[in-house]
Amino acid sequence: MWLTQLLALPLFQMAFFVYLARFVSPTVTNVTFIAVGNALQVASFSSIFAVCNITSEEKWQGTLIPLIATPANRFPLFLGRASFQILNGIATIAVGFFYANYIFGVDMSRTDFAALTIVILITSLTMTGFGLMLGSVGLFMRTAMIIANIFLFIGLLVCGVNFPVTDLPVWLQPVSYAIPMTYGTLAARAAVNGAGIVELTPVLLQEAGAGVASILAGYVLFVGFELLARRRGTLEEY
Amino acid sequence: MPEKPEKAIVLSDLRRVYHVSKGVFRKKREAVEAVKGISFNVDFGELFGLLGPNGAGKTTTIKMLTTLLTPTSGTAKVLGFDIVKNVMEIRRRIGIIFGGERGLYYRVSGRENLRYFADLYGVSLSKREKRISDLLDMVGLADRADDRVESYSRGMKQRLHIAKGLINDPELMFMDEPTIGLDPEAARETRAMIKGLVEKGKTILLTTHYMFEADELCQRIAVISNGKIVALDSPSALKHFVKDITVIEVEAFGVAEKDLAILRGQPEVTNVSADLEGERQTIRIQTPRGSEFIPTVTQLLSRARIMDVRTKEPTLEDAYLKLVA
Amino acid sequence: MAELQTLWGSFRMSMLSFFADPQWIIPNIIAPFVFTAVALIFFGNVSGSLALYAVLGGGMMGMWGNTLYGSGFALAFDRWNGTIEYVLATPSRLVWIVAGRSASSAFLGLVNALAILVVAVLGYGTQLGIANPLLFLLALMLTLTSLSALGIVFCSSFLLTRSAQVLTNGLEMPIYVASGSMFPIALLPFWTHPLSLSLGPTWGIDAMRYAADATYAGMGFGYWTDLLMVLFSTIVYLAIGFWLFIIVENKARRDATLEEY
Repeated sequence: MWLTQLLALPLFQMAFFVYLARFVSPTVTNVTFIAVGNALQVASFSSIFAVCNITSEEKWQGTLIPLIATPANRFPLFLGRASFQILNGIATIAVGFFYANYIFGVDMSRTDFAALTIVILITSLTMTGFGLMLGSVGLFMRTAMIIANIFLFIGLLVCGVNFPVTDLPVWLQPVSYAIPMTYGTLAARAAVNGAGIVELTPVLLQEAGAGVASILAGYVLFVGFELLARRRGTLEEY
Repeated sequence: MPEKPEKAIVLSDLRRVYHVSKGVFRKKREAVEAVKGISFNVDFGELFGLLGPNGAGKTTTIKMLTTLLTPTSGTAKVLGFDIVKNVMEIRRRIGIIFGGERGLYYRVSGRENLRYFADLYGVSLSKREKRISDLLDMVGLADRADDRVESYSRGMKQRLHIAKGLINDPELMFMDEPTIGLDPEAARETRAMIKGLVEKGKTILLTTHYMFEADELCQRIAVISNGKIVALDSPSALKHFVKDITVIEVEAFGVAEKDLAILRGQPEVTNVSADLEGERQTIRIQTPRGSEFIPTVTQLLSRARIMDVRTKEPTLEDAYLKLVA
Repeated sequence: MAELQTLWGSFRMSMLSFFADPQWIIPNIIAPFVFTAVALIFFGNVSGSLALYAVLGGGMMGMWGNTLYGSGFALAFDRWNGTIEYVLATPSRLVWIVAGRSASSAFLGLVNALAILVVAVLGYGTQLGIANPLLFLLALMLTLTSLSALGIVFCSSFLLTRSAQVLTNGLEMPIYVASGSMFPIALLPFWTHPLSLSLGPTWGIDAMRYAADATYAGMGFGYWTDLLMVLFSTIVYLAIGFWLFIIVENKARRDATLEEY
């Protein structure tokens, strides 16, 4: 069921922005920019599910409490569960590119597919990590699902998906650079235009860096939450 | 003006079949007959009990009588109206209380909950506020009426349920396990309120699986087991049903299921029920033999430590166990 | 009159529940909010008709989003809450209860519209003016009514299938694309036009733009034709909704499934 949702949503989302762009500037619409950006942005759907892996309510009742009681290292456990979402992300992005090419007519004749594959891989990985970090933030709040929902779409605005980050108000731009996908969209577009792995390495490193930073931040938050819970003796508040 | 019907509720061979899908890949449709043709009447002003174990068909019966379910076959009349053909007439005139915590809107106040249902029941606006105040006074929630229901204790929520069930001033009420999950004091209060309602002339059909509750409250009890009525009478008459039975009650430690099986296999034993949880186990053995049977019992349970043995008068529970076994 | 009492009571309860925990509207309106923000950047620093498109469009999408989720889940909330049996057992027809909820959802979508307006004006310095406020208000009210009526159809259709969640989520994006909220439906492939035009609010937003911008060309039918179509669609939706709910109620009593879905 979420499969149909996963397949249909990206199509209509891409359609929305392509048509919108065509409406605003009928003559100068860079469909490639928008379509490629959106194709990558759909990775957010699976990273959201990674968020849910940590903060879903069932876990409170069942697994989380006994887990915290064990001396095992919990965070890697969640990373393990999230690995499915990484695959999920790759699949959805691939579907996105399919739409971009066959429905919106993006020219992929010059694409360096090896490079593009690497970009997709790294983007899905890092975004899942970013999602896990959001999940750790969500541990502290009752309304974690609201964060998840916001995150699902915010990429459209700040990750260089529909327009370059430089078009954003200056005060918003730092947010963009903290999110791995921002680098991913740059790299993806370059790859579609023919850039190879070597050329893309700097950007990809930046993306990986942002991803690692998120995972570390997530880990710190997670451990902090456990300490807090043990000290306070309550998990029920959240 | 239609004549007042003779009986408040009349059931005639009421039957209800559920279709359940089983299995994950190959779904098979199975027909489960929850209610297998039951008939009984309830008089006006009566507090009538429907007693039975979980899954016996009590809730299904109540849902049919309150027009939430259509019967598969058979008929029933509530206040003279047919439960299939005159749904709205019935709904206007009855009150419903399903036990349990759920059934209230937690994020708004008690008063707003009552207002909402008053609107759904079409209580005229001129009467609405006064009736709500009166009901809140009656159940003792007047001072907390404007607080969110999520801040209420379990007992307070139950009291709000009762107020809600009375919002349309019904002459007939259906209560499905009204004291389930309540602490003893709240349960006692609820039962007192139920008795008070009958004294005011209301007719109540109540389901419960608590024997003592049925015994205390009801004028007549229908025992339902496996979708069928196995007995219908006053509590004392039902107890009479087991008057020849003595109950030997054993308090022990270390009794296992196989010991019970051996006991049950004895020809002189009509029924064995036991609570084996916890340190103090209680085993009730029904036998026509009386206290002369005690040595046999102690011998059969010799592997365990017996702390106390008593003979007891049979209660409604014993009658019930005999009927339901 | 009893029906009106039910409608009003349901509307009121829905509003009270919202104000008790307002943050729960956020998931319903996030997408429109973000989409509008993107649109405003696309449009750049424009004032006049294009900016109107962005802000009105975003507001419209917000009303759509909240109506879809609010009415799609109108009875789901009762199910999770454990109140559905009590609600079903009242002498009020389900359709009126849902109508009240649906109207409340559409109306609350205005909250989103206002939020977008504030962000657009403050954050982006967009300048807006409405040429004919009274006609605008009329179009807005009728559009809200049409949305509420459509919400009833959503709710009943979802109740008749097991996949309410999937349908609700699945319809969100297509509606944003096809409703002509943010860009004219003329841009879409011609075979989608009948679908777009079957949505009352598509005519409604067109009418609102006519009222807001004197130079607006729109779909070409003019303000009053648009309003007529909105009214017509409302009547059709109400008829379908009523009919579907009779089916829903009978099915619930026969199959005892309303509590399960």
